[in-house]
Amino acid sequence: MELIAKLGILADAAKYDASCASSGAPKRSSRGRDGLGATNGMGICHSYTPDGRCVSLLKILLTNFCLYDCQYCVNRRSSNVPRARFSPEEVVRLTLDFYRRNCISGLFLSSGIIRSADYTMEQLIRVARLLREEHNFRGYIHLKTIPDADPMLIEEAGRLADRLSVNIELPTDESLQRLAPEKQGSTIRQAMGVIHRGQQAVADQPRAPRFTPAGQSTQVIVGADATDDSTLLRNAESLYQGFGLKRVYYSAFSPIPDSPNSVPLAAPPLLREHRLYQADFLLRGYGYNAGELFKKSTSLALDIDPKLAWALENREVFPMDLNRAEPTLMARIPGIGLRSVQRLVALRRERRIRYDDLIQLRCVLDKARPFIVTSDYRPADAEQRSGMLRARLREPQAPVQMGLWG
Amino acid sequence: MIALDCDDLFGTWRAQARRLLSHGIDPAQVTWAQGPTDDLLAIPAPLPEAPGPFQGKVPAALLEQLEQAARYHGEQRWNLLYEVLWRVAHGDRTAMMAGDRLGSELQRRIKQVRREAHHLHAFARFVPLPAPLAEQLQLDLVAWHDPAHDILASASGHFAERLGRQRWLIATPRDGVRFDGEQMDYQRQCPAQWQQWAQHADDPGAELWRTYYRHIFNPARLNPDVLRQHMPGRFWRHLPEGMLIPQLVGQARHGKQRDGQAPEVARQQGKQIGKRE
Repeated sequence: MELIAKLGILADAAKYDASCASSGAPKRSSRGRDGLGATNGMGICHSYTPDGRCVSLLKILLTNFCLYDCQYCVNRRSSNVPRARFSPEEVVRLTLDFYRRNCISGLFLSSGIIRSADYTMEQLIRVARLLREEHNFRGYIHLKTIPDADPMLIEEAGRLADRLSVNIELPTDESLQRLAPEKQGSTIRQAMGVIHRGQQAVADQPRAPRFTPAGQSTQVIVGADATDDSTLLRNAESLYQGFGLKRVYYSAFSPIPDSPNSVPLAAPPLLREHRLYQADFLLRGYGYNAGELFKKSTSLALDIDPKLAWALENREVFPMDLNRAEPTLMARIPGIGLRSVQRLVALRRERRIRYDDLIQLRCVLDKARPFIVTSDYRPADAEQRSGMLRARLREPQAPVQMGLWG
Repeated sequence: MIALDCDDLFGTWRAQARRLLSHGIDPAQVTWAQGPTDDLLAIPAPLPEAPGPFQGKVPAALLEQLEQAARYHGEQRWNLLYEVLWRVAHGDRTAMMAGDRLGSELQRRIKQVRREAHHLHAFARFVPLPAPLAEQLQLDLVAWHDPAHDILASASGHFAERLGRQRWLIATPRDGVRFDGEQMDYQRQCPAQWQQWAQHADDPGAELWRTYYRHIFNPARLNPDVLRQHMPGRFWRHLPEGMLIPQLVGQARHGKQRDGQAPEVARQQGKQIGKRE
């Protein structure tokens, strides 16, 4: 099979993985040296596909032959898809060609399970080794980690790659058992533990060889089973705390061709995915904990964002005086982001904050107005009930897309 | 009214502004030319020849910010900078802060310039020259790019980091830069020959990239507004994948939204795999 035909099949097979991040790598440069590639911590999105997703890395499978039969996966062994397999050299060739063209900032390589977990992992490592050692490639490398692979192999991968990821896929053991019988929650967590310990071993030693400097991530599928948002986010929270994960990716389950009856054939729940990302960011960036977001319900509201939802449930904290409040609390005001908080704090060292300043800072005032006090403004609707506020602030909902094929 | 021209060079503007400031000349009394017809109404008065008595102190960070904002193409390009400088030098630091009306515009320009540098890093596409031509021109890769602001000189060092000893050039409608593997050669006026090479490079290899682009797209998640927001339409023309965008959007709208597979793959014969014994 020609390279271009393989590329078509193996890119098509890789599109269900959400992550394409190339950020967080240490500073590396090829200036004046043999080889190719640089990283500086910032990710670059070299293109966007019409699904609105960023193309930062060459995201492909080494092969879509697979021994597993995960029901949600287009590449499961019972799926009737065309199959192909790259040689490691072919992946290297594609990576270097696209990189020179400035189409990508690196490689995200995953694979179906062939022969055994160890054999598959060895193949992935071989690609990374060829790139790093034969071609002096200093761009970004993200390797998918096969959970059942030998810990020694995972450690080897961690020394070559900027990022490793082990996909959780389904957040509960029941769902895994039902939909991915060959996978086990315990071995997935063990693999995460191996990576985490590898990172900790070099954490305070600047001279030690790097180990996954851009951290580890995982992906969980949303909407293939009945798991609620609360379980998803509490699970994410425990992964952030337990394994120091950089990111949990949420991937709205997207119907697959030749779909088995065990998974839905509906349009992907994109809005729910969006709300999960917003809530996840509240955990990582704003200091919320998952429990706070699910006091009254086990799922996130779809019509308002989770920060607004929290504010409406906690009216006793507001309105907040922008000239006095602690920065961490200010970040909890709907419509005011972390960056605006920094700027407000800098500005109030010079003078009192006025309402007009928020306009200049391009804060979302429709959302913020009921929750703030400035030197020249106090909300008239501070006493207004949360229910009415919510009715006013909810986002217009697109009509629900009908599932035509299910 | 003092009418000045800094030839769109920050260094020249800076010297002029410093002189004006030292004489306490109010921003309303100065105008910088932005084109030949700009200052018809101004009765030109000369820039004072010697430095004046006023010594305003400004934070070092301000100069950096002014230099960044100076790369922005737009109304009042140089006047705005002098107004900020004037206010900060007279003790009003809010003029450089986003909460202030003027500071907000300054920060917006800086942000736009930074974004445009990022666009260069993201969307400039190099075409590899075939070996004989590369040997003849001493050049491995050429790119054509059309930035909205003056970011090429300050932002193109990025590619020397990425491309190692490769020899490359980036041509734009205004300026150009060429790297010979060691040294950077920046030209404010891009040589016509560079433009020629960059715009007419033959690229049969681009089909591989277009194949990847077609297949990594998930039609079941169609959302072209987000694409447009992050990758403005003005760049599509120069991207090998640009021509695919309307086509893929159209296909997805006409029935491909039910699952994620590309039609080219769906047409091929599938293969189930037997269970391991």
